[in-house]
Amino acid sequence: MERKFNKRGMKVLGITLLIYAILVAPHEGEFWPFSIYPMFSQAGNPWTRAMVLDVTDKSEQERWNNHLLQDRVSDAVPVGSYGVDQIDFSNFVVKTENWTDSRRNALITMFGSENIEGRKWMVSKVRGEMVEQDSVIIEIRPFIMITADTTYLNPNLPDEAYRGGTE
Amino acid sequence: MKWYEKIGYELFEPDRDQTPGEVVFFKFFELFVLVYTLYFSWKWGLYAQLRNMEVVLPLGLANYIDVSLFFDHNLALINAAIITIFAVAAFFRLGSKWFYMIVIVLLHMQYVIRFSQGEIPHSQNLIGMAVLSFAIGAAFFPDKKQMPRFVMGSIIFFIGLGYTSAFFAKLIGTGLTWFDGRHLWLWIGEKSIDILSREGVWEPNFLQSLALNSVFAASIILLIGWFTELIGFTMWWKKLRPYTTTLLLAMHFGITLTMNIRFDAFVMQLILVGYPWYLILDRYIKSTPKVLMKWL
Repeated sequence: MERKFNKRGMKVLGITLLIYAILVAPHEGEFWPFSIYPMFSQAGNPWTRAMVLDVTDKSEQERWNNHLLQDRVSDAVPVGSYGVDQIDFSNFVVKTENWTDSRRNALITMFGSENIEGRKWMVSKVRGEMVEQDSVIIEIRPFIMITADTTYLNPNLPDEAYRGGTE
Repeated sequence: MKWYEKIGYELFEPDRDQTPGEVVFFKFFELFVLVYTLYFSWKWGLYAQLRNMEVVLPLGLANYIDVSLFFDHNLALINAAIITIFAVAAFFRLGSKWFYMIVIVLLHMQYVIRFSQGEIPHSQNLIGMAVLSFAIGAAFFPDKKQMPRFVMGSIIFFIGLGYTSAFFAKLIGTGLTWFDGRHLWLWIGEKSIDILSREGVWEPNFLQSLALNSVFAASIILLIGWFTELIGFTMWWKKLRPYTTTLLLAMHFGITLTMNIRFDAFVMQLILVGYPWYLILDRYIKSTPKVLMKWL
């Protein structure tokens, strides 16, 4: 009886494993809750995230210039305190290719225009990469400035940066 | 006995008698899974209803169904309500033995609805695998001794497999140089931006400072973690399980310290399935409560 259960148990596990493989194979290793757990599997690649800086009191030049993380002079806006998931926010900013009016306005909606009232917030892309043999640089690239009712594109970037995903 | 039957004996322990401690522990574990299932269902449903606007990354069934339909008209919340009804009924063994199967399909839908925004988190995978194990156990092993054994055995099997799979994903994705400490520098930098973005501030802790100041220390940290993943499958063996689990927990603690990634549900479940808690319970519980036998 016990041996029969054991054998049947392993058979059912084997079939489940087969279904697991069939589902994850054509879906890039992910078919929840099945996964090949590929996180961090490709090491050393550059990454791009997003963050918001409060640039209300900064000059035009300070607002729009690329700068390294260690040279940052503006405070970071804690997106979590506005109920925004920072990973979703990053993906929205980094993966959007065509910045239509509705996409730009979605940035204001995300935080709530009442929270931005009287402020100027810079939605910035942040890129990290390994350089030479022994260092990592993290650069902040201002992308879209938002106020309570308007969005401004970076005048230093070509139009293509907002219509095709390049910077 | 064939090799896979030997593994089965380690996972299911078919010769061991069922004890009161085992029954109490199993039902407590099922309650833990139920609570997290309901928590995730409603949390994901509320988020999708309030925040999701369009599908950025379709996952799983979202490749075949337009899940943006669920962002409006409270459909994600209705899905959470249906999951709640079936999951609670399944916990009390009311209705069909297929209820857990319905729960896992709807929970999959809820996950792909919520996480259609580009992020692919894994911290909820173990709860999903547990619900799936309950679904298979309830459907194919309804016997009161066999179901708990199959459920716990299959969860342990898939946890061990998952960690070892993660080791090979890194080996294939990067190669033997994966543990180069500079890779950890990049990841710490990436996670520091996430924290800075979320909280408005970020300061490195002692382990991050140690890793950022020494490529050798960073490499050792990665190598220990990678090796721990490789031996994840050794938890299939009953005698090795507590030791492997302890190493895996230490690895998660290290991941939290170095990369600020917390897997709360994952770690709690690992603690629950990785140690033989029933042995402690058997010291204090001498007979199985009748009500629990009814819900087994």
